[in-house]
Amino acid sequence: MNESVPLPIARKGSQLLKYLRPTFGVVVLLFILYRLYSVLVIRHEYGADTWTRLLITGLIIGGVYALIAIGYTLVYGILFMINFAHGEVMMLGAYAGFFVFEALKSIKVSSEPPLNFSNANPVISIIIAFAVGMTVSALSGFLLEKIAYRPLRKAPRLVPLISAIGASIFLQNAAQLLFSPQLRDVTNPEILRRGIGWKILINGSNVIIPYTGVFTFALSILLLIGLYIIVRKTKLGRAMRAVALDKKTAALMGIDVDKTISQTFLISGALAGAAGVMWGIHNGLVYYFVGFIPGIKAFTAAVLGGIGNLPGAMLGGLFLGLIESMGPAALGINFQLKDVLAFAILILVLTFRPSGLLGEVLSEEKV
Amino acid sequence: MKAMKLLVVLTVLAMLFTACAPAATPTAAVKTEAPAVAPVDEVPAVCASDAFGCAVFAPGEVVKLGMGAPMTGGDSAFGLDISQGAFLAAKDAGDFNGVTFEVVAEDDGGSPEGGAAVANKFAADPAVVAIPGHIFSGATAAAMPIYEKAGFPMLSPSATNPALTTKGSPVFNRIAFTDAIQGAFAANYLFEKLGVKKLALVHDGQDYGKGLVEVVAKEFAALGGEVVATEAITPKETDFTAVLSALASKAPEAVYFGGYTTEGAILANQMKQTGLENAVFFGCDGTYGADFLERTGPNGEGAFAVSLTPPNTEAKLVFDAAYEAAYGSKPGTLSPFSWNGYDVTAALISMVKSVAVVGGDGKVYVPRGALVAAVRGLKDHVGISGTFTCQENGECNASGPLFVVVKDGAWVPAP
Repeated sequence: MNESVPLPIARKGSQLLKYLRPTFGVVVLLFILYRLYSVLVIRHEYGADTWTRLLITGLIIGGVYALIAIGYTLVYGILFMINFAHGEVMMLGAYAGFFVFEALKSIKVSSEPPLNFSNANPVISIIIAFAVGMTVSALSGFLLEKIAYRPLRKAPRLVPLISAIGASIFLQNAAQLLFSPQLRDVTNPEILRRGIGWKILINGSNVIIPYTGVFTFALSILLLIGLYIIVRKTKLGRAMRAVALDKKTAALMGIDVDKTISQTFLISGALAGAAGVMWGIHNGLVYYFVGFIPGIKAFTAAVLGGIGNLPGAMLGGLFLGLIESMGPAALGINFQLKDVLAFAILILVLTFRPSGLLGEVLSEEKV
Repeated sequence: MKAMKLLVVLTVLAMLFTACAPAATPTAAVKTEAPAVAPVDEVPAVCASDAFGCAVFAPGEVVKLGMGAPMTGGDSAFGLDISQGAFLAAKDAGDFNGVTFEVVAEDDGGSPEGGAAVANKFAADPAVVAIPGHIFSGATAAAMPIYEKAGFPMLSPSATNPALTTKGSPVFNRIAFTDAIQGAFAANYLFEKLGVKKLALVHDGQDYGKGLVEVVAKEFAALGGEVVATEAITPKETDFTAVLSALASKAPEAVYFGGYTTEGAILANQMKQTGLENAVFFGCDGTYGADFLERTGPNGEGAFAVSLTPPNTEAKLVFDAAYEAAYGSKPGTLSPFSWNGYDVTAALISMVKSVAVVGGDGKVYVPRGALVAAVRGLKDHVGISGTFTCQENGECNASGPLFVVVKDGAWVPAP
C-alpha cells in the first residue's frame, strides 16, 4: 500500500477541491464576519454582564468536555480506535458519585441540630465521592478493554469500533435495568450548593460565578496537568508513548504492551469518572443516558483538537464549550442551534486541517 | 452460496411478515371464520356490517384498553399517575356478561417513535378495543393514523396540542382542555393579574411546548404586552445557563415555559444564577407536580403552573381515598391528570358496554366501527373532573385551567 500510485480520478477530485475549498472558506468567513458585525456593532444586543455569564458557562462545560476528550485521545493514540463506550464509563462514574453522596447523607452525625456526614465533613465527602467514582470508572474502562476490545486486537479496525458501539448500548441498558430509568437528583454538601457563588457587579447586574462551576473547572485543569505530567515525566508515560509510536518495536524494547494498554484504559476511565462526578455535582441530574451527549461532544472536541494529541483535546474541549455558549449569541441565532454550530465548526476545521487544530500529520504506519 | 443467502433473506422476510400480519387478521378472522364455526344466528348481524368487524370475548376473558404513556424517564410521573387512575376505573367497571375490563399501560417514552411502536403493538392485539391515551401530544399524533386503520377510538386524558383535533381524525377525542385555551388564559393571567409587560418565551421544541408558546406569544401581543425573546432548548440537556443568560440581557419580568417538568425544574433552578432571579417562572400543566417541587427546592418558590384538580365532589373524594389506599400518594401530586385518567377510562368502558352485543353463543361481541362512532357521540358523561360532551371534531371539554403557585414548598391555588 505504501507506494500505490494515486488513481487518476482521485487527482481530478483534488484538482476540483483546490478551488472549492478556498471559495467555501471565504464564503463562510464572510458570513461569520457579517453576522458578528451586525450583532456586536450594529445591534449591540448583549452587554458585558451577559458575555461574562456566557464565558463562565462555556469554560465550565468546556473543562468537562476536555476531561472526557482526553480519554478518547489517549485510547486513540495507542490503539487507533474510537472508544465509543467512553461516555458510558463517565455515566457509571456519575452514578457512583450519586450513590456515595446518598450514603453519606444518610449517616447522621448528630441529631440536634440535625447534621449528616456529608455536611459535617464536606471535604472528606467530596474526596470519597471522587475516589469511588474514579475507581468505578477506571475499573469499568479496564474491564471494557479486557472483554470487548482485547479479543479483537488483531481484527480489522472496523470490528473493535462496532464492538465499542455495542458496549455503549449494553452499558446504557444495563444501567437502566440496575438503577431504574428515573432521573436522580444529586445532593451536594451544603458548601457546594448549586446556584450560589461569588457575585460580581458588571453593568449594574449581578453576575454569579457558581462555586460548583469554579470547583469543576479548577479540578479539571488540575487533573489535565496531572495527566500531562504522567505522560511526559513517568516511566508509564514513556511506555505509553512508545506503544503509541510503534507497538512491535516497543515490545522488542521490553515494554509489556498489553499491560500498558490496560493502564491507559485505567487512566482514561479514571478521568471520565472524575468528569462524571463533576457532572453530577454541577448539573445535579444523573440518569442512564447522561453520558451519551457529553460523550459525543467530547469526541467532537477530541477530533477538533487533533485526535491522539493531548493538548489538542484540552484545547478542543474548551473551544467547543465556548463555541456552544457564546457562538449563538455572537452570531445572533437561536440557542437551540448550538449543536449545529459546534458541528459546523468541526466540518470547517476538518476541511482546512483534516488532522485537527493541533494534530500532526500521521505517519504511514499509523494510517 | 448465493442460493443459501437468498433463502436466508426470504426466511427473514417471511418471519417479518408473519410478525406484522396479526395487525390485520383479528377483524378478518372474525368475519370469515366465526360464521363457519357457529350457526349463523349466534353471531350478531352488526358484526358483518361493521366496517372494522367485531372483537370477540368468551366469558371469563378480558377486554383490554391500551394506554400508551411515558412509563420511564424524566416524565414518567405522568404515565404512572394517569395509568394508576385508569386502573382504578377498570376495577370499578366490574364485569359485563362475564367479561372484565383491564387497562394495559405500555411505555411509549412520550416520544413520537415510541407512540407509533406502542400503537402497532396494540393494533396487533385482538383483545384491545379502545385507547385511553396517548399521554403526550407528540406520541398521540404519531399513533393516530395507526388507530384509524385499526378502528380503535381514542380518548386522551392529557394530549393538549391544538392541531390534534384539526386533522379530521374520526378516532381521536380528548377531555383535556387544549393548549389554545390554556395559552390564552395564561397570557391573560400574566398580563392582567401579574402585571407583566415584558415576557420571554422558552419551549422545548416539541409539539406540546412549541404549540403552547406560539399561542401565548400571539395572545400576549394582542393584549398589548411585549414578547422580548423566544428561545428553544434541547430536551434531555442539563445546562441551560447560556440561553438563560441571553434572555436575562432582555430584562424580562417573567419567563413563560412550554414543556415538561424535567427541563422546567432545571430552568427554574438556573434562572437564579443567570441574572433572572427576579423574573417569574411561569410554567404550564406539563411542569406541575411533586417532582418540580423536589428538584427546585427553594429555587421553585413563586413559580406558576397549571393544575387540573377538580372541585371536591363526592365522586372525587371517593376516588381520592381509593387512589391513596392503592398507591400511597394523593392523586394530583405526581401529575395533574390523575382524575382525567380515571374519567377517560370510565367513559370508554361505558361506551364499550353500550355498543357490545351478546351473541347466541354467550360470547360478547364489540363492533369496532360502532364503538368509534359511540365515543365521538359521547354526551353528558359525568366524570370526576367535569361533564363531557364530545363535539364533532373530538373536543370533549372547554373549561379553563386553574393556575397554581409554589408557596412554602407546596402548590397552592394562585390568587
